[in-house]
Amino acid sequence: MPGVLPPATAPWPERRRRALADPTMRAAVAKTTRNLAQGKASAYASYPPGEAMRVRAVTARRSALAHIDALLEELTGNVEAHGGYVVRAAGPADVGRYVLDIARRRGAERVVKSKSMATEEIALNEQLEAAGLRVRETDLGEYIIQLARERPSHILAPAAHKTRGQIEALFEREAARTGVTPPTCDATPELTAFARRQLREEFLAADVGITGGNFLVAETGTLVLITNEGNGRMTTSLPPVHIAVVGIDKVVATWADLAVLLQQAPLSGTGQLISTYTSFITGPRRPGELDGPEEFHLVLLDNGRHELLGTEYEDVLTCIRCGACLNVCPVFRTIGGQAYGSIYSGPIGVVLTPLLGGLDHAPELPKSACAMCHACRDACPMEIELPRYILKLRRTEIEKSMEPLTVRLTFELWGRLWASPAGYRWTARLARLGQRAFMRKGRLTKAPGLVGGWTATRDSPPVAKETFHEWWRRRKPGSLT
Amino acid sequence: MPTMTRAQLFVSCLVDLFRPRAGIAAVQVLERRDIELEVPPGQTCCGQFAYNAGHHREAAAMGRQFVRAFEASGANGSPADPLPLIALSGSCAAMVKIEMPELLERDALRQGRTSATAARWRRRAETLAGRVVEFSEWLDGHDSLTPFDVASPEPAASESLQVVCHTGCHMRRLLGVTEPPLRALRRAGVEPLELIDADQCCGFGGSFGLIEPDISAAMTDAKLAHLATARSEGATCLVSADLGCLMQLGGRLSRRGDQFPTLHLAELVDLADQGRLTAAEIERAAHGQGGNA
Ligand code: SF4
Repeated sequence: MPGVLPPATAPWPERRRRALADPTMRAAVAKTTRNLAQGKASAYASYPPGEAMRVRAVTARRSALAHIDALLEELTGNVEAHGGYVVRAAGPADVGRYVLDIARRRGAERVVKSKSMATEEIALNEQLEAAGLRVRETDLGEYIIQLARERPSHILAPAAHKTRGQIEALFEREAARTGVTPPTCDATPELTAFARRQLREEFLAADVGITGGNFLVAETGTLVLITNEGNGRMTTSLPPVHIAVVGIDKVVATWADLAVLLQQAPLSGTGQLISTYTSFITGPRRPGELDGPEEFHLVLLDNGRHELLGTEYEDVLTCIRCGACLNVCPVFRTIGGQAYGSIYSGPIGVVLTPLLGGLDHAPELPKSACAMCHACRDACPMEIELPRYILKLRRTEIEKSMEPLTVRLTFELWGRLWASPAGYRWTARLARLGQRAFMRKGRLTKAPGLVGGWTATRDSPPVAKETFHEWWRRRKPGSLT
Repeated sequence: MPTMTRAQLFVSCLVDLFRPRAGIAAVQVLERRDIELEVPPGQTCCGQFAYNAGHHREAAAMGRQFVRAFEASGANGSPADPLPLIALSGSCAAMVKIEMPELLERDALRQGRTSATAARWRRRAETLAGRVVEFSEWLDGHDSLTPFDVASPEPAASESLQVVCHTGCHMRRLLGVTEPPLRALRRAGVEPLELIDADQCCGFGGSFGLIEPDISAAMTDAKLAHLATARSEGATCLVSADLGCLMQLGGRLSRRGDQFPTLHLAELVDLADQGRLTAAEIERAAHGQGGNA
């Protein structure tokens, strides 16, 4: 079954316009991505085992997908053996229903969450809030954009587009709303201290903690969470119930596989050797243990993933959400993540959004959010052929006639003419005649049809009075002019 | 060592139509290095633009013409000594070398041809692919080996020249050719500069640049901001082995009313060969007053 993704917040022209008109956001995103990309480069350079492990990690991920059904079964058996519950969810509604059932049974009112793409993907917060639960994001970046009622602008740094001043203003509003002391200035320590004070209260009062998961180890039934803020630990140990919502693609067979994978996300994403916190969670608290929740639930989310197995897109499921492809993408650096209209942005978003949510979800992404520069392919630690996938999606959209008729006819005519030298020469002659009307000071500044897209923001030299081939024919072979 | 080597020249549609003087400069440069050039008259376009736009029928139609044109007159040389096919565009070279064999095979199957016919198209394209050499790469392999008769550059004039070199994304990532243009510039006696974030796309991106003119221009403006830094440090012109990038960067400069010179690498090497590598000559060449043709 295909999956369902939250709808785009606005049509593409509107999202694009908003992004291009926001220099503060664009500068912040450009700076963050550049720093992260450089961090990645120096991390691998200064840590030679990283590359060798990466190669093995690719194999581990691909072989896990090849055996995914057996691994999920093994995983389920092991989680259950440790006293946890496992449930398979086909899509957003299944997860919402399951979580709400638990909340109702426990009389829960307050939920804390640590950062998770899977729950963003199914708009879990909205589902829970609609049922009257109070949901609080506890990752600092997620907390900020939750207060701002926005969507993440970057997989790793959801609030990368926000300045300290903007964050202070949000916190002041929140302080007024909850009747506490606001931050005294926009210095980072002051802002984080405010968030910490607020979130401590949330952790202590929460009835349910919800997390995602970076990996699932089948052989022991272990959920692996990597975070940099420690909020993941609070979310999984303070509330009496822990629910992890994890894509089925996150399963790996063994701890040996995990060992080569664990560092790849931090190396590629932030340039860290390892994340600040790595948590291994195997079932709920056992008798005699001091920490951990009373109940542990693992929700295995499909949402269109299983359908990709065995297709030419299968490798996209090996993505570890490191964000490296976003950080090097020139389009992402220019428009930021929110313009994509999907919770998955950047090159992986261009691919994953239509694959999970259907081609109609944001049909403009493959052609409009990619310059085919191939930087993402080089950056991806899992060697996912992102540019080839994007090109394939472009082809598919054309095959399904999802493109304006005029564009299709232009290409058809052009293809026919340029398939023969005579047709090619004829277009050159025609252009030379036609271009006179569009020239200013020897440059083309306007043009009709597709080429008008070029002259909208750039000049072009005119088609030359004498083309190279005309010159060559005229010239006596062998003589230097 | 043979005295006269034959080679075919793949000028690309952009050079042919919009900047013939870059092709003419390449002819001069190659002939000075004792290359007997053949320019197959049937060449139109390698199909890259249509290919990356996702229009693979059209790309394949152009691709088949490309194969016919380059096979026809010069044949392929012998397997042991293939005839080089020198390309004046890094991204078009990548199209032929990397994408075309699969494209032509797939398209033949789509047309309902037999798999033997499809495989034959693939082989023909592969043979061509094996012969393609990007221009700066070719210079790299031959400049130091082949003695050639050129006027010696005037060191005083060229020594202080700094030139910004932009290497296109496909040349950089698909062909893996990054050093040869820099070395060609050094041999020409100029100091190549790379911009900050040199590996970021210039903003063209084929069909992307036409569909999304505003995003494309914003990307170019980021590059031009780094170019401004290089200019303030003394860069005299912008050089690339890809005319697509040059038209993007130069076209945006022009739209902003800025006449900073942009040159195809072949044009710069041609000036250097003639000992004419001065800021004034670069200016003239960039604006089509070089008197080359
Ligand atoms: S596609 Fe590759 S680079 Fe992008 S987030 Fe996934 S693993 Fe990282």
